[in-house]
Amino acid sequence: MDELELLKKDWQQRKQVYPNLSHTDIYNLLHKKSSSIVKWIFIIGIAEFIFWGVLNLFIPDRIFDIYDQLHLKKILSYSYIFHYTVSIVFLYLFYNNHKAIRVTDSTNNLMKNIIKTRKTVNFYVYYNIGLYVILSVVFNIVLFSDVDLLLQVMTPEKLNIDQSKFFNMFLITQIIVLVVMCGLLYLYYRIIYGILLRKLNKNYNELESLE
Amino acid sequence: MTKELEKQFISEFHDHQNIIHKVCSIYTSDKESHNDLFQEITIQLWKAYPTFRGDSKLSTWMYRVGLNTAITLFRKSKRQVQTQDFDAVLYRIKSTEYDPTQEEQLSVMYKAIQQLSDIDKALIFLYLEDKNYKEISETMGISEVNARVKMNRIKTRLKTILNP
Repeated sequence: MDELELLKKDWQQRKQVYPNLSHTDIYNLLHKKSSSIVKWIFIIGIAEFIFWGVLNLFIPDRIFDIYDQLHLKKILSYSYIFHYTVSIVFLYLFYNNHKAIRVTDSTNNLMKNIIKTRKTVNFYVYYNIGLYVILSVVFNIVLFSDVDLLLQVMTPEKLNIDQSKFFNMFLITQIIVLVVMCGLLYLYYRIIYGILLRKLNKNYNELESLE
Repeated sequence: MTKELEKQFISEFHDHQNIIHKVCSIYTSDKESHNDLFQEITIQLWKAYPTFRGDSKLSTWMYRVGLNTAITLFRKSKRQVQTQDFDAVLYRIKSTEYDPTQEEQLSVMYKAIQQLSDIDKALIFLYLEDKNYKEISETMGISEVNARVKMNRIKTRLKTILNP
């Protein structure tokens, strides 16, 4: 192809057309802050670990009293131990995957490692939602196995509502909370992926479609 | 990182900075984003420099980091707007034997390259830098056969853009 050969010749002659940075210019550049997506993925990942890790610290003490009265405290303590063990494992995997990201790798490997790091965080979030759903189901089974106790704890005497209405409300509230939570998460991920990873995914798919 | 290493890096980078300008000119279409990308690549090179063992040529190592940053790590800032002032046109060299038809042809070629995908740009860049398929395949992390296939497709694509 003639045009390409011509282009190649022109390209290789283009030495003198670019500005020549002095040593001082380069020195200044070295001390600027990077804004690479790897850095952002790391920051956002850590923020997510912190968010899910400390979320239960914001549960008011009053709720724990209720759990205590409903004999749910034991399940809760076990689930905490389990939860923090799993979280540490996830954090370790995240850190390891992040460390494996090297800009000197081949383009394909670099993208693979970035996606793997991001996936670790995603799985951690899925795990959190899963745990939440499982715990809710277990709690409900325990609660509904002793309806009298549940009514006694959850409804102060002055509040005189009928029983079936109370149970309906109790269940509907839980479902609404779950749906809202999932909706917010979905929105959040659309934004994260939209901003950070659209370009990466597009390029990765293009390379993968070759292989 | 020691001052010594920093000095060494700056001196080597200074002599090879053209490579990075070339990467930037393929991936950006205005001066501001050219500079942004240039800055990011420089930072990435410096961060990776302590692990540069010298078993590959410095230029090869720079190609890799430069392209990886442009394709994968670099996030265009919001303030940037797509403009037509492709810097290849801005920086155009006036060759000694100036030929207006040829100049126009080249300008159309550079514009055609701007329309390619990020991956295609990387391949065309390495082709223009006269790299063989082995090096292209290693840099991109694809097989040599696929690099060839892809390159032929890009050439056909460019041909169609040039001769519709």
